[in-house]
Amino acid sequence: MSMTARKRLSAVLIYLVLSIVFILVIFPIFYTFMGSFKSNQELLTSGSTIIPHRFVLDNYKQAWSLANFERYTWNSVYMSFFIVVGTIITSTVAGYCFERGNFKGKNLIFSVVVSSMFVSLGSLTLYPTVMIAKWFGINKSLWGVIVIRVLGMNVTNLFVTRTYIRTLSTEIDDAAKIDGCSFFGTFVHIIFPLLKPLIATIAILEFRHSWNDYMMPMVFTMSKPERMPLVVGVVSLKSSGEAASSWNLMLAGTAISMIPMMVVYLFFNRYFIEGMTAGAVKG
Amino acid sequence: MSEKALKKRGGFSIKKDSTQAVLMLLPMLLGFALFTYGPILYIIRYCLYKANDFKATYIGFDNFARLFSRDPAFWDAMLNTVILSAGKLVIEIPLAMFLAVLLNKGIKGTGFFRTTLFLPAITSTAIVGLIFSLMFASFDGIVNNILQSVGLIGRPINWMGNKWTALEMLGIASIWNNFPINMIYFLMALQSIPKEIYECADLDGVTPWRRFWNITLPMIAPIAQVVVLMAIVGSLKVSDLVLASTNGAPGGKTEVIMTYVFKYFFGYSGRSVEIGYASAMSVVTGIFLACVSFIYMKVTRRMNDVY
Repeated sequence: MSMTARKRLSAVLIYLVLSIVFILVIFPIFYTFMGSFKSNQELLTSGSTIIPHRFVLDNYKQAWSLANFERYTWNSVYMSFFIVVGTIITSTVAGYCFERGNFKGKNLIFSVVVSSMFVSLGSLTLYPTVMIAKWFGINKSLWGVIVIRVLGMNVTNLFVTRTYIRTLSTEIDDAAKIDGCSFFGTFVHIIFPLLKPLIATIAILEFRHSWNDYMMPMVFTMSKPERMPLVVGVVSLKSSGEAASSWNLMLAGTAISMIPMMVVYLFFNRYFIEGMTAGAVKG
Repeated sequence: MSEKALKKRGGFSIKKDSTQAVLMLLPMLLGFALFTYGPILYIIRYCLYKANDFKATYIGFDNFARLFSRDPAFWDAMLNTVILSAGKLVIEIPLAMFLAVLLNKGIKGTGFFRTTLFLPAITSTAIVGLIFSLMFASFDGIVNNILQSVGLIGRPINWMGNKWTALEMLGIASIWNNFPINMIYFLMALQSIPKEIYECADLDGVTPWRRFWNITLPMIAPIAQVVVLMAIVGSLKVSDLVLASTNGAPGGKTEVIMTYVFKYFFGYSGRSVEIGYASAMSVVTGIFLACVSFIYMKVTRRMNDVY
């Protein structure tokens, strides 16, 4: 009896702690979304209440039509789309070549690629990256970001695909080869279709990364508002001088930038959590 | 099977296959060389130059002399980075571990909490910076308002007006943004512990605290070692959070290493472009980061072989 009472008590305590953390976690998001429905006047005079006195859609309308947000959203959408599709192709091809391919120096090249994880300098390499992109004339638009992300070889993705392909039996490859499939043909017809679950994971992780990214798209679109993706556009409002008067736009913009990610998360949260941990543990 | 198949196809097609493999891989290898190692080589070259966007002159090790003797602001930024990282990780890592243990109890409804507590991790770090700087605004900010109405403070705090309160805000924002992923890592580690060990401990009447300290912690030590390393390196490399919230305010006192160097590269926030000097700072920062990882791995190597 006392045992079950103690168990029940500890369950209540756990719920209590988790609920407090839940409130702390949700609050900033909730506050932002509520703020985005306040009228500008209300924001300037009594921005400290949480729930708006009156829900208005003015901020969204203004952000969308007057403040470039339609453009920003479109930029985010196409940038993320091309990065996701491109990365799916390059990661699976790279994983396949390193796992099933047979060429001189394979292991050496693989270890060079992997070792790049340890020399990462974060945002310090942004400037040289832009300069290198300049040689190819892609330093002034989001295409630079797309090319770099797609061809830049993501070590985590490489690990995950390589490990996954290793679990596929080589007998199917051999059968395909006997039937006259080349190395490339085997990938296209046999291996790639078998990678569906993995592709979902890569797509979601890459979407999260590209949609949320700030530094790289920022340096590629500096002082060109019409090319900025959402996150860069929203943050640029803050440093634009009249920051105080554009709170309403910032709040609406923040909400616009968060909604697509949350919707995707709502439907695929298992993939998010599994994918983000799978990469880390392998590395 | 594999060998037999290979024999059947003869040498020619093996050669053809390896050519195909190289061709398929080539675009990625070029991209990788250009955009991953290229920038590093660029930095290593230009750290010996005085350069802006238009011209570059060789000046030997002058940049390093300047960095080590005449630029206290760089070392302040480095110190800020270390203080911010240490201060927030001391809270973030235990918090993540604690929540993981709670979620691992298998109580009804933990699935809901696991899903919702993860939300900050899918929010853009720059957006997190923006949201928190709005919440911590000195005039009419929601945080000041709540603290005032609870009676913790008498007057509104000017969070961005003081180095330490600004750093506190950055730390809180960063914890909010980063604890979920660590929580999930720990949760995964906990779930990999075999249940039998706990059953044995229960038979011996071990207290919950000893159970955690002597069984759980050692069992997850190898994963925890990697998770903490990633958290340390990640927080030393913080940049977008700071750019989008304090941007160094007040007066550059909350500048972190990445934002400080970034501004020299791009002439951002009214600074003039000094590529050579920024490259020299990058080299020093890179060595610093490598040393931190190396020392960490040395110090914690015993975590890898507890069991």
